[in-house]
Amino acid sequence: MADPTQSAPAVSTHGAGASPAPGATHEAAGAEHGSGGLPQFEFQHWGGQIAYLLVLFAILYVLIARVFTPRMRRVIDERASTIAGALEAARQVQAEALEQSRAAAADLAEARARSQALAFDARAKAAAEAAERSAIEEAKLAAQLAEAETRIAGMRDSAMAQIGAVANDTAMAIIEKLTGKSASAADLKAASAVRGGAA
Amino acid sequence: MADPLHQFKIEKIVDLPDVTLPGLGSVDLAITNSHVAMTVAFAAIVLFLTAVTSNAQVVPGRLQTVGEGVFGLIDNLTESIIGHEGRKLFPFVFTVFTLILGMNFLGLMLAFTATSQIAVTATFGVLTIGLVLIIGFAKHGLGFFKLFVPSGVPWVLLPVIILIEFASFLLRPVTLTLRLFGNMMGGHVALKVFAGFVAAAVIGKIGLLGLLVGPLSIGMVTALTALEFLVAFLQAFVFAVLTCIYLNDVVNLGHGH
Repeated sequence: MADPTQSAPAVSTHGAGASPAPGATHEAAGAEHGSGGLPQFEFQHWGGQIAYLLVLFAILYVLIARVFTPRMRRVIDERASTIAGALEAARQVQAEALEQSRAAAADLAEARARSQALAFDARAKAAAEAAERSAIEEAKLAAQLAEAETRIAGMRDSAMAQIGAVANDTAMAIIEKLTGKSASAADLKAASAVRGGAA
Repeated sequence: MADPLHQFKIEKIVDLPDVTLPGLGSVDLAITNSHVAMTVAFAAIVLFLTAVTSNAQVVPGRLQTVGEGVFGLIDNLTESIIGHEGRKLFPFVFTVFTLILGMNFLGLMLAFTATSQIAVTATFGVLTIGLVLIIGFAKHGLGFFKLFVPSGVPWVLLPVIILIEFASFLLRPVTLTLRLFGNMMGGHVALKVFAGFVAAAVIGKIGLLGLLVGPLSIGMVTALTALEFLVAFLQAFVFAVLTCIYLNDVVNLGHGH
């Protein structure tokens, strides 16, 4: 842009046609335009660029090594430790929660077992009471039954005893009717003794 | 059409007298467009890293996430390639990466690309290999030369292998330099050529053909610009990866080589 007259054709003819010539004849021209026409080979500009780049490189190296890298590492380490701490805390809380849930489950199981035992006891007690009560009732009934049976037996025995007299009377009446004469009590006794002996 | 190589020309902005520095010889202190591009890249990096780290939070904001992404990218790289000692070398690799990345990106947005100057890329290459040599000799002394003698090679092949290893080591700074330089320069030349076609079509220099060439070329420029952003990142990353690999060779010399 600084030199509009030095356009593309001028440089290319110089590069193609004059490239072998200045090396031999014109030392100054060769140094001026460089080899092959590339501006990068104008060596008079190298020293300044290299020296300046080395200075910039040294400053940037010191800044990065002394300032930026430690700062960056500090933040990254801090983050890593924060994350590790949070994870550790979360793990602890989780373990605690697990512990608590286990305890709650154990409590629940114990309560259930206790209530089951309680229910079993209550049922057993109720059954025992019922059995006792029914046993008492049964005993009472059995006693009444036994009493009734003895009464019946007594009544039957007395009835049986009375039946002997009735039979004697009946036998005497039948004998009187049949024979016309009354049988004596001794005869009846003998007769009943015969029957009793036969029986 | 404008000369596509004109963009690589060093222009003096402020001329300063030459000085003679030890080791470098006479140095032209003039401030050129290359100096400006490097300075802008440097300032952008420092501003970015300052913004990212000055008020860094445990829960990062947007900018901090980007910064930590770049940081983590190189940190993982050094850690995975070099291993535990990679932490000590991280600042060097990170400096190389950010400077190259900054210059590459700024080259796509400003008029001048510092990394398309072979003087700049050669400086990076020589710096890297220089550090490799320094670490190699400081850590292993003359054992550094074991680098050229891979273990488990039949002794018959050893002379050939040593020769090849030595040559490949010598070529490392050259390949580092030329890969970055070639990629950046090639991309910018291609961009400029197609942009020149667009300009030629617009001013009617090629007549009705411009109706066809113009839209095609502008599409090409758009696509190439996207590609160049990818290349700009990739070349900086490749440079960082290779730096790590070369440093790993001498840091972990003897085990696993």
